[in-house]
Amino acid sequence: MEALIKVKNMCKVYNPGENEVWALDHVNLEIQKGEFVAIIGHSGSGKSTLMNMLGCLDIPTSGEYYLNGKDVSELGDNQLSEIRNEEIGFIFQGFNLISNLTAIENVELPLIYRGIGRSERHKLAMEALNMVGLEKRIHHKPAEMSGGQQQRVAIARAIAAKPPVILADEPTGNLDSASTKEIMGILRSLHDTGRSVILITHDNDIADQAKRVVRILDGKIVEDYYNDEQVKE
Amino acid sequence: MGKMLEYIKMALKNITANKGRSFLTMLGIIIGIASVIMVMAVGNGTANAMNSEVQDIGTGQIYVYCSEDAQNAEEWITPEDIEAIKEKVDGIDGASPDDAASGTTVTGKGEFSITLTGGTEDSWKSLNYNMKRGSYYTEADVQEGNRVCVLTDEDAKRLFGSDDVVGMDLDVNVSGITQSYRIVGVTQQKANGSFVSYTYEGMPVTLNVPYTSFESFGWEMDEFYSFNAFTADGADAKKATKDLIHLLESRHQSAGEDYYQIQSFQDMLSEMNSMLGIVTTFISCVAAISLFVGGIGVMNIMLVSVTERTREIGIRKSLGAKTSSILMQFLAEAAILTIVGGIIGILLGILGATGICSIMSSAMESTIHPGITVSTILGATLFSCAVGVFFGIYPARKAAKLSPIEALRRN
Repeated sequence: MEALIKVKNMCKVYNPGENEVWALDHVNLEIQKGEFVAIIGHSGSGKSTLMNMLGCLDIPTSGEYYLNGKDVSELGDNQLSEIRNEEIGFIFQGFNLISNLTAIENVELPLIYRGIGRSERHKLAMEALNMVGLEKRIHHKPAEMSGGQQQRVAIARAIAAKPPVILADEPTGNLDSASTKEIMGILRSLHDTGRSVILITHDNDIADQAKRVVRILDGKIVEDYYNDEQVKE
Repeated sequence: MGKMLEYIKMALKNITANKGRSFLTMLGIIIGIASVIMVMAVGNGTANAMNSEVQDIGTGQIYVYCSEDAQNAEEWITPEDIEAIKEKVDGIDGASPDDAASGTTVTGKGEFSITLTGGTEDSWKSLNYNMKRGSYYTEADVQEGNRVCVLTDEDAKRLFGSDDVVGMDLDVNVSGITQSYRIVGVTQQKANGSFVSYTYEGMPVTLNVPYTSFESFGWEMDEFYSFNAFTADGADAKKATKDLIHLLESRHQSAGEDYYQIQSFQDMLSEMNSMLGIVTTFISCVAAISLFVGGIGVMNIMLVSVTERTREIGIRKSLGAKTSSILMQFLAEAAILTIVGGIIGILLGILGATGICSIMSSAMESTIHPGITVSTILGATLFSCAVGVFFGIYPARKAAKLSPIEALRRN
C-alpha cells in the first residue's frame, strides 16, 4: 500500500553559506494511513521545521516529499495552499483562532477556501463541533472560551473538511493538565475513527500516548519505534 | 461569485470589528467626496439658475449696436434698416429698436417713476412674458405712433391696486410734456431672478410702448444707436448675424469699417458658463486633492491593518487561503471603506449643497437648486471605489505575498 507520507533525504538549510544551519539533515520517514505518530525532540532539534515541511507551510532545500502519493516538494504557493486545504488539518499550540470570528465561523474557514456552499459548510462545521463537544458554544468568540475549549474549536476546524492528515504542533503546550487530558482523548478518538494523526511534542508523556514515536535530534531522526511493541530502530 | 461574497462578508466583519478606526479611515474620503459633490452641485445649480434666466429673456436675441467709430448720424441705424433686416435676412423673424425714456406718472396711489421702453410689435420676444390680460400692441400701433402700453401685473397693482386695468389711460410726463397712454395688455410678472432680471422695491414702473409714440414728446425717431434682432426657432444664428451685419454695412456703404457690433445672449451665456465651469473645475480639483489625501489615509490604515493582522493572514494561509483570496479580502475591505465613505460623502455633499443654495437663494432673493445629477452621484461612487481599489492594492498585495510560516511566527 502507498504510504500517506513519504519523505526521502529531506534537508532544510537556513542561511546557506558560512553560518548555515542544517535544521533537517537527510531525513527519511514514512507514515502509513491511519497511524498515530508523535514526533518528539527538544527545542532546536528540528521537529518544528519537520512539521512545517510535512504541513506544506515551507519547502525543503533538497529532498523529496510525497503526500498522499503527490510530489509536493516543488510546488508553488497557490498549489501548496490547495494541498494544505485538502490534505492537512492543523492544530497549533497557540490555537490560532481568529479573534473576531465565532467558533463556528472559525471552523467554517477552511471550508470557505475549499469553495463549499453555505448550508453544506454549516452542516460539516456543526458535525465537527459536535465531535469535540462544543455544539452549545458555536456562537462564542475565542475570548469567551477557556484554553481547552479554544483548542477543541481548533480541532473541529482541523477535522471539519475531513483531511487525511491531522498535524498537531504541541497541541497541549498551553493547556493545564485537565485540558491536556481532554485534548489527548479527542486526538486518540480521532485516530480510533481511522484518521492519521501526527503530533509534534517535546513531552515524553504526551509522546507515549501515540502508537509510534519518532525522535529527532539535530535535524536527524535518531529513534523510530512503536509504543505497544516497544520496537526500537 | 460565491467566494467573492464570502470575502465581502469577511471584510465587513473586520470593518465592523474596528468601528472607530474604520470611521476615521473613511473620514478623508467622506470629506473629499462631500467637497467635490458640494462644489459641483452649487456650481451647476448657479449655472442652471443663470441659464434659465437667460432662457427667459430669450437666447435667440441678438443685440446690435453702433461702435465708437460710427460717429456720423448717417451711420446710425434707421427704421428702414430694421424693416430691411426683417424682410431680407434669413433666420431673422423680428427686430425692434431699443430705446427708452424716463418720466413720471401720478395715479390714485401716488406719484411713480416710469421707464418707457420703446420698441416694435416684435419686442415682446425679448420679454418672453405670458400675457395675462389684453394683448401686446400691434404693428398698426407702431406704424401709426399710437400711445398704447403694456405693463406687468405687479406694476399695474402698484399703480392702480389691481391688474384689471386694460382700457384704462395713464398720463405720462416726459421732459415736461404729458401724454396719455392707453393700457392694452397686462403681462405676468416672472419670478425674481438674481443674475440678469433682478427687480427691487421702488424700481420704476416699466411701460412697453411703440417707439413711434415717442414722437408725441417731440422726439425724432429716425435713427437709433442700437436695436434687437430675433432669430427664428432652429435658425442658424451665426449665419443670420453675419448676414445682418453685411446688410447693414451694404446699406450704409461701410463694409469693413466695423461700425456695427453685436452681442448675443447665447454668447454671453456660453462665456458665463465657461467661466463658471473653470471656477467649478478649479475648486473641484482642490477638493479632489483632499480625496487623494483620503485615499492615502486608507492605504496607510490598510498597511497598519496588514501588519497587525499578519498572524491572522498566516492562519488563513495555513488553512488553505490562496494569494488571490487574501488579496481579494483586503481589496474588498479597502473598497467597502471607500464606497461607504463615498456614500456618506455624497449625502453630506447634497446636504451641504442644499444648505449653501438656500443661503444663496435667500441672500440673492432668487431660487437656486443644487445641481445634482445621477451622473455626478454615480461618478463620485465609482471614483471613491477606484480610490479604494487603487490605494488598497499595495497593502493587499503585501498581505497576500506573506509566507504562511513567517506570518504564523509573528505575534
